[in-house]
Amino acid sequence: MLEMTPEQIRDVVEVRILPKVLKPGRYLGNEWNAVHKDWEQAKVKLAFAFPDVYEVGMSHLGTRILYHLVNSFEHYLLERVFAPWVDMEGEMRKRKVPLFSLESYHPVKSFDIVGFTLQYELSFSNLLNMLELSGIPLHSSERGDGYPLVIAGGPCAYNPEPLADFIDLFLIGESEEQLPELLELVSRAKELGWSRQELLEGAAGIGGVYVPALYRVDYKEDGRLRSFEPVKAGVPKVITKRVVKDLDKAFFPEQAIVPNMEIVHDRVMLEVLRGCSRGCRFCQAGMLYRPVRERSPQTLLRQAGSLVSSTGYDEISLTSLSTGDYTCVQPVVRALIAGFKDKGVGVSLPSLRIDSFDVGLAEEVQKVRKSGLTFAPEAGTQRLRDVINKNVSEEDLIRTTQAAFSKGWSSVKLYFMIGLPTEEQADLEGIAALARKVADLGSSAGRRNVTITVSTSSFVPKAHTPLQWEGQEGISSLRAKQQYLREKLRDRRLRYNWHDAETSFLEAVFAKGDRRLGRALELAHSKGCKFDGWSEHFKYEVWLEALAEEGLDPHFYANRALEYDELLPWDHIDSGVSKQFLADEHQAALNGSITKDCRYEECYACGVCPELGAAVELKGGV
Amino acid sequence: MRMRVAFAKEDRAKFIGHLDLTKVFERSMRRAEIPMAFSEGFNPHPKMSFGSALALGATSLREYVDIELAQELSPAEFMQRLQAQLPTGLRLLDVREIPAQLKPLMAVLNCASYKVSVPLLLPVSQEKVEEVVQRFLAQENIAYVRYSKKGKQEKNLRPFIRHLSGKVYEDRLELELELDITEQGSVKPVELVGVMREFGELPVDVEGMRVHRTGIYIRNDEGKLVSPLDL
Repeated sequence: MLEMTPEQIRDVVEVRILPKVLKPGRYLGNEWNAVHKDWEQAKVKLAFAFPDVYEVGMSHLGTRILYHLVNSFEHYLLERVFAPWVDMEGEMRKRKVPLFSLESYHPVKSFDIVGFTLQYELSFSNLLNMLELSGIPLHSSERGDGYPLVIAGGPCAYNPEPLADFIDLFLIGESEEQLPELLELVSRAKELGWSRQELLEGAAGIGGVYVPALYRVDYKEDGRLRSFEPVKAGVPKVITKRVVKDLDKAFFPEQAIVPNMEIVHDRVMLEVLRGCSRGCRFCQAGMLYRPVRERSPQTLLRQAGSLVSSTGYDEISLTSLSTGDYTCVQPVVRALIAGFKDKGVGVSLPSLRIDSFDVGLAEEVQKVRKSGLTFAPEAGTQRLRDVINKNVSEEDLIRTTQAAFSKGWSSVKLYFMIGLPTEEQADLEGIAALARKVADLGSSAGRRNVTITVSTSSFVPKAHTPLQWEGQEGISSLRAKQQYLREKLRDRRLRYNWHDAETSFLEAVFAKGDRRLGRALELAHSKGCKFDGWSEHFKYEVWLEALAEEGLDPHFYANRALEYDELLPWDHIDSGVSKQFLADEHQAALNGSITKDCRYEECYACGVCPELGAAVELKGGV
Repeated sequence: MRMRVAFAKEDRAKFIGHLDLTKVFERSMRRAEIPMAFSEGFNPHPKMSFGSALALGATSLREYVDIELAQELSPAEFMQRLQAQLPTGLRLLDVREIPAQLKPLMAVLNCASYKVSVPLLLPVSQEKVEEVVQRFLAQENIAYVRYSKKGKQEKNLRPFIRHLSGKVYEDRLELELELDITEQGSVKPVELVGVMREFGELPVDVEGMRVHRTGIYIRNDEGKLVSPLDL
């Protein structure tokens, strides 16, 4: 079959398809600040693929950074592609329209590289679906020299094994570091006419690049790993993540694409810091993004100014894993509010810890825009909070919410996890008791319409965390806990939301999965699984069927507790945090002893700074 | 001060929805450093009001929006600064300062004209089209059933139709429409064409239809069409 040209695709899509689908703005690519480069002049063309729908993908900061970073190079071109929503996919399949890039409507297959960002495990089926819609063979081994190089990065690349059959190479860590090096290599490979194999072997020599085809895995009879070895000399045994050493000098786009339709995070995102050393033992991001590196207030204020004038957004959000921990948060927020109030631009602080929350600051933010307050105590008792090293106390929560109620807030959201290691009945009771206590504080502060929303997610043990050796609690027991909380939280001031245990179970399977899972993923995809993170599309039964047909036991991956001396499927990926540190932290969790934050206390030797030659960088001086 | 702005919504902007258009204008004005006036309250938004909504996917020769400014700015400068920041497909045509007490666009616009192009699946004669149009308009009740979140709603389209004529070109049928906008709402061209196709068994491809609004007006007491910029 002849390939469709961009003109043909645009004609069919704009005339025939877009008038019939929901939110056509998802597929147009003509937003303000979108970069339209000359296709013919580009030496390397990269299709940046986000395996979820437009409004989700466009809200992702990493996508925004890489978009402008790659396009800032004269000879490289980066265009976007998102997972088409099911209505769009149906129309495209019906009319044989291949997956195309938004900027130029070129088929994804005609790019040199297709790069997926892996933000959550439940987007893996969309990745396969997007390859299929592009007409690119799913298996890396079936792609000949004419096909694009299929690469992936993002947090889920830290356990890349379930995708090892499909991805040619993974970028581990903060890929603004090694992506330009890879693009240069691809450019050279094209000039010199390298074969695919030559290119892959060359890429394996770049720091932070993992080429799964260059490794062989052996399993024991019981299903655990026996060995994981490079098949060739010169291929690194361990792939260490890349990090930006000086965040203040690192590339950060001073413009952003402004969609013509509403997206999830429809605002300027100002990245104030990267990393978090609070050390919550369940938190993968807290381990992966170390060390903590801050941006200076001067840089942030300059970036805010350029971003507001280049986008026209009415809100600036200070983003990071924990913005309240930014050592200069007060002066930066005050300066932003003062500088932008007259333009109708507000400031928001999305991620605040209870102990670093400052009501005065929240009130300042509130002056321009009203937002609800959300806190994550994560567990119902101090005992369990010590286990997970979530070092906030009930007093912190009470002090903070009391202050908030007295300043006029009436609704608070509280996030908890259920199914955490060592959880007991008392911990569940603690969740209900804490919610009631907060509601009572609101009532006695004279707030009518007090609304406390309690949300529980089910604990998913993640690779590279101290709790990686734990198994996930069974579905039926998680459901019983949800039911218990439903009854315990019956009060007109309380609302209770919970995440489906089935979704969390599948997430756990892939979070700790090995290479064999790729077979089940492919089968589930062929049975129509997609948008697994969207409850209306999640087909749990089909997933179980696919796993069973491939002879894989999901409980082996999700619910089994691992041994310390076991070879883990992700042991060849190095986040910089040592396995010994993680094991020590796991023991500390079981003993209920806490580990403090190395920003304010001594160094606890997680290993990241010496391993990566990086250092904690605070701008406010502590 | 209050500005009344006329603009065209061309092909590249036809998929910007009516609600999103407000945001697009707000962001463009902020980029253009135009001093917008904001509403009071917790969630201040710029004081801006559009005329009648245009269907998603339709283009328009001339749309209107009223925008309030916090500071004086000449219409010429407003136009020049804003145009530089508008996404492709939104083209400013005219900007005038209007008195603060002038009624909002929504309250005065009562008539819209359209040019609709529908691909023909089979050849049709000009005579046949004229005959269908004549019989179609001779009906007292043109029933249309609209399904929405509110449920099933039956509507008589006939009272809204001022003018309807069709001309056959080689591979397409072009219709000219003039439709009233009343307190009871109006008719969407796509609804009208769908009903007429069924009525006259016309071999047209409604899916490939292009709707172009050629104007939106105020029909005054003498029956004359007046632009909201000429009040």
